[in-house]
Amino acid sequence: MVSPLFILAIGLGAAFGVGLLDARSRGLAFAITLAGLAAMSAIGAEWLWAFVVDGVQPIMVMTAGAPPPFAINLRMGPAEAALVAIICLTGLLSAIQMREALLRLGRRAMAVLSIAVMALSGIVLTRDVFNLFVFFELVVIATGGLVLLSDDPRATAAGFKYLVVSQVASMLMLIGIVFVYHAGGSLNVDDLIGSPAVAAGGAAGLAFLLLMIALVLETKPFPANGWALDVYEAAHPGFGAIFSAASASAALYAVDKVVGVGGAAFLPMLTAIGLVTFVGANLLALSQTVDRRLLGYSSVAQVGLVLAVIGLRDLLGERYLMVAGGLLVAHAVAKAGLFWLSELVAGRDFAAWAALRRRPILIFAFATFVAMLAGLPPFPGFYAKWELTHALMAQGRPELVAAILVGALFEAGYLFRWFGRALKATPPEGVSDLPVSKVGVVVLTALGGWVLGEVWGAASPYGDVLGATPLLVALAFLALEPLSARIKNTLAIVVLVAAFASGWPHFDPLQLIFAAIVLLGGAVIFVASYAFADGRRTGFYPSAMLMYAGLAMLIVAKDTFGFFAAWEVLTIGSYFLILRGKQSEPHALSYVVFSLGGAFAILAGFALAAETTALFPIAGLKQVAAPFAPWVFVLLAVGFMTKTASIGLHIWLPGAHAEAETDVSPMVSGILLKAGLFGLFMLLMQMGRQSLYGVDLTLVLLWIGAASALLGNLMAVFQEDAKRLLAYSSIGQMGYAVFGLALMNHLGWLMALMFVINHYIYKSSLFLSVGGVYKRTGTREMYRMGGLITLMPLTFFAVLVGIVAMSGVPPLSGFGGRWIFYNAILDTPARLPMVVIFLSGPIAFLYLFRLIHTIFLGQLKDEHRRIREAPIWLIAPQMLYVAFLIGFALFPGLALRKVDAFISRFIPEHALNWDGLTITSAYGYWNPVSIMIVIVVIFVTLLAWLVFLNRRAQMVKQFNIVFAAERPYRPETTHFAWNFFAPYRRALGPLTEPYFERFWQAQTDALHGWAGFARRFYTGDGQVYAFQVVGFVVIVCWAAMGMTP
Amino acid sequence: MITLSLAVGFALVLAGLYGALTNRNILRMIVSFTVADTGVNIVLVAVGWMRGRTAPILDDAVPIAEAAQRIIDPLPQALVLTAIVIGLGVTALMLAYAYRLYSTAGTLDVSKFTELKW
Repeated sequence: MVSPLFILAIGLGAAFGVGLLDARSRGLAFAITLAGLAAMSAIGAEWLWAFVVDGVQPIMVMTAGAPPPFAINLRMGPAEAALVAIICLTGLLSAIQMREALLRLGRRAMAVLSIAVMALSGIVLTRDVFNLFVFFELVVIATGGLVLLSDDPRATAAGFKYLVVSQVASMLMLIGIVFVYHAGGSLNVDDLIGSPAVAAGGAAGLAFLLLMIALVLETKPFPANGWALDVYEAAHPGFGAIFSAASASAALYAVDKVVGVGGAAFLPMLTAIGLVTFVGANLLALSQTVDRRLLGYSSVAQVGLVLAVIGLRDLLGERYLMVAGGLLVAHAVAKAGLFWLSELVAGRDFAAWAALRRRPILIFAFATFVAMLAGLPPFPGFYAKWELTHALMAQGRPELVAAILVGALFEAGYLFRWFGRALKATPPEGVSDLPVSKVGVVVLTALGGWVLGEVWGAASPYGDVLGATPLLVALAFLALEPLSARIKNTLAIVVLVAAFASGWPHFDPLQLIFAAIVLLGGAVIFVASYAFADGRRTGFYPSAMLMYAGLAMLIVAKDTFGFFAAWEVLTIGSYFLILRGKQSEPHALSYVVFSLGGAFAILAGFALAAETTALFPIAGLKQVAAPFAPWVFVLLAVGFMTKTASIGLHIWLPGAHAEAETDVSPMVSGILLKAGLFGLFMLLMQMGRQSLYGVDLTLVLLWIGAASALLGNLMAVFQEDAKRLLAYSSIGQMGYAVFGLALMNHLGWLMALMFVINHYIYKSSLFLSVGGVYKRTGTREMYRMGGLITLMPLTFFAVLVGIVAMSGVPPLSGFGGRWIFYNAILDTPARLPMVVIFLSGPIAFLYLFRLIHTIFLGQLKDEHRRIREAPIWLIAPQMLYVAFLIGFALFPGLALRKVDAFISRFIPEHALNWDGLTITSAYGYWNPVSIMIVIVVIFVTLLAWLVFLNRRAQMVKQFNIVFAAERPYRPETTHFAWNFFAPYRRALGPLTEPYFERFWQAQTDALHGWAGFARRFYTGDGQVYAFQVVGFVVIVCWAAMGMTP
Repeated sequence: MITLSLAVGFALVLAGLYGALTNRNILRMIVSFTVADTGVNIVLVAVGWMRGRTAPILDDAVPIAEAAQRIIDPLPQALVLTAIVIGLGVTALMLAYAYRLYSTAGTLDVSKFTELKW
């Protein structure tokens, strides 16, 4: 093993070595600098390997031939090795990114870089507080030099502000150190930890407090951090990466190292400062529009979170290292990667990041970094988030969990807004090529993030997300990206079918139904994707497979961790899918923010349920005891209802489903919504009825379901856009399902399952039909269509069957659903919601009628005379759905009998009686085959009669209904099919006002308004920043003295 | 004696901080910081001082055997030396910055450098 001293020696040697070179041999100097940084990284990595793999014990390295306190000593342990490796690697890769700037400024700049990395490593390694001070000052001086590497002329002012604040911090640190030494008699951290004088408080306590505050200032706490933000914005991004990843890691470790001296009394202070920083910086970041400044805010926030975790270290116990380490490496890797990426982007606004689209691999890297920062699986931050919330809940600190999750949601909001902008904005024209070495660094960093994800997964006692086969298969599709879309599509179908076949023997009936819909249903929708499989269709297959992987993992999840990980995986996958639509940027954002908000509610619910053990089987939800159980129920139900788009949480759905691509709409509508229902099923099966403050929560669910059904259907009635109509109708349909579940009786659940199956079939079919019409006519507005029945007969037939099934009239499968449904509500005492849900039935007729009437009947538009039937690949799955709708109508027992028996395990009362083809309930019987025969006979008779009458009909010429003197500024207003249900709208319009949209809009506006106002605190004046720092110190001192008398 | 030096030291620190926070001129700010630095150094030395002891120089006057009882704590003095050197470096860097700021913007008023904010 190479002595850690060489890390410092090589850094210094390289710095002085390049100083000796001729000023003109810059290439050589650069090579020496890189070699030095590489050697330092290698030493760090070697030690890390030794600790982790070979199990070597930590060592102390003495200097000057004397033990402490007579000489400085260094410690090398696993944490030190990891941090040094991160710091030196960041330095090395940043040097590559800063190549031009370094070569331009010559050997001095390179020497300063080596010194900076050496000093940061020194901060991590040293055990001597004064030595710590010296290294910090070296970092200050080196930072002052490196800030000037930037091309940005504003960097000079930023560097000066930084120096001013550093002066304040260093004075505090020095005064603190000397009094701590005076009281404790040593400068060695390990000696001081044993010393009672400091922990006793008084003057020595105050001195230690000053030292701690000085160290905390180095982590750029909110709001005393304007100087840091300016540096982030103006500095060279290569240095930004060092400042964010390496400096922050070193400063945090210094805090962690020294805080032990003061003992537990100082920990709450760190938690408080850290959390205020995390929430505050993330809030203010919401109104940022400059990428690097945004990264600065985000860095401040992330470091604040780690600081908070340091304050919680006693509470986390042995899990502390995994949590703090997970958050820290996720931050370091992602932030460094994003800063390096920003160098490849010419403009500073988010839209400029569209330039990355020329290299899809950079989008992959971008997505990786965003996911790492947002704490999504399978990255280390995900495991850390899980452990942290569980540990906090176990210790009865829900307020901390709430603060962390709120801050994390803000962060996800601005990160995904940025990501969405980059993916949807128009790329700038005529940009130069991206240099290979810089792209390489970014890609390498992203891959490093994945490796770290695997490291954390392997070390996690809950399970390794990256080890899950479905996820690996989905990731394999990333590697297949160069193949043509047709091949990938075929592979995707094969994979889904194979997954279903292999899981088949292990599913229980409920899982079987959901798995059939997700996997087989997904495969059927992929058939439609052949219609769009020109070229490579980059990004589509990995996203879709990610969503299916998440769904497949969700269905078989046995414990809460697996369930939650699957939930997040399917959320990310579906977000990428939805984002693919042309106009879908804002909708994808609201989808992902609602979904992550829901996911955080689920996380909090699971954590609350788990109490002390974080590995919690889902079946354990049954045993959750009284004071927590209703809260767990509420949190989980809210989380699941963000996915079922229940009223109030539904505003993301219409845009997301309507703007998605033609084959994506059925995936996210027909399949994805069922994840929420699966969750609710699971919740109600395990927890049953719960009541909070005397309110029966299932009754609340019942009302939410009824309201969703009514309002969703009503809103669908007044849509002009066919896909939006279908999307709103999904809200209503999911409302029925939630209602059925909340009935908490046998038939209610059965009906919910009927809806799961039926909704998948007819909604997928209708979305494909409408998508086919859209592909041919180029519009989704129904009044622009008409008379397509002769041109697109198959699509017409599919829509006809689809709406008959959906409306619940006999003979198709929707009727079965209704029949069970009416039986189910006769079982329940809740009459009023029953009336509401009854009312929403006829409303559905209104919008369904429009689909067939406005699109297919009436007069053909002139511009549509030449269109053809939709592509065969779109028609094929629709015909399959039609066949299935008819088949399922005739033989509902195929699927339902088993499920009926399965539900009897939970609610045995009022099961159906399956006798041959007849199904009997407590209230009556239903024979699907005879109903079918009766209806077909009536239908054929009526049709024959109509055809007979049709002989007398006349051909009508097109005419415009505008009267003389009317001036049609908006021509559509004169179309009879526009605002088709105007009279109903006048009567029921108030119910469909976008109250919830306004509510959520007001929330977002308020947050942004706040952020925009509060950030003016950072006036940009260096002196004001220094004043803020002094104010921060005074306030923290005052608060800390108040806390520890 | 020790109280006096500590008082003087802290007074200088506060005076320096006050100067740095109230003077708009960058050069005045830098001078104020050096005043504060000097104050910190005085505090450091004062902390190491002990009544009735001599300088920590081991020669004929202070044999090694008695050194521990007769000399003051040498460590703060060593720290002060280091701190002075570092202070010098930082001050030099700040002056270099001042020069650069003046040559680009033509002013030394710190409140003029607020292009980066919010």
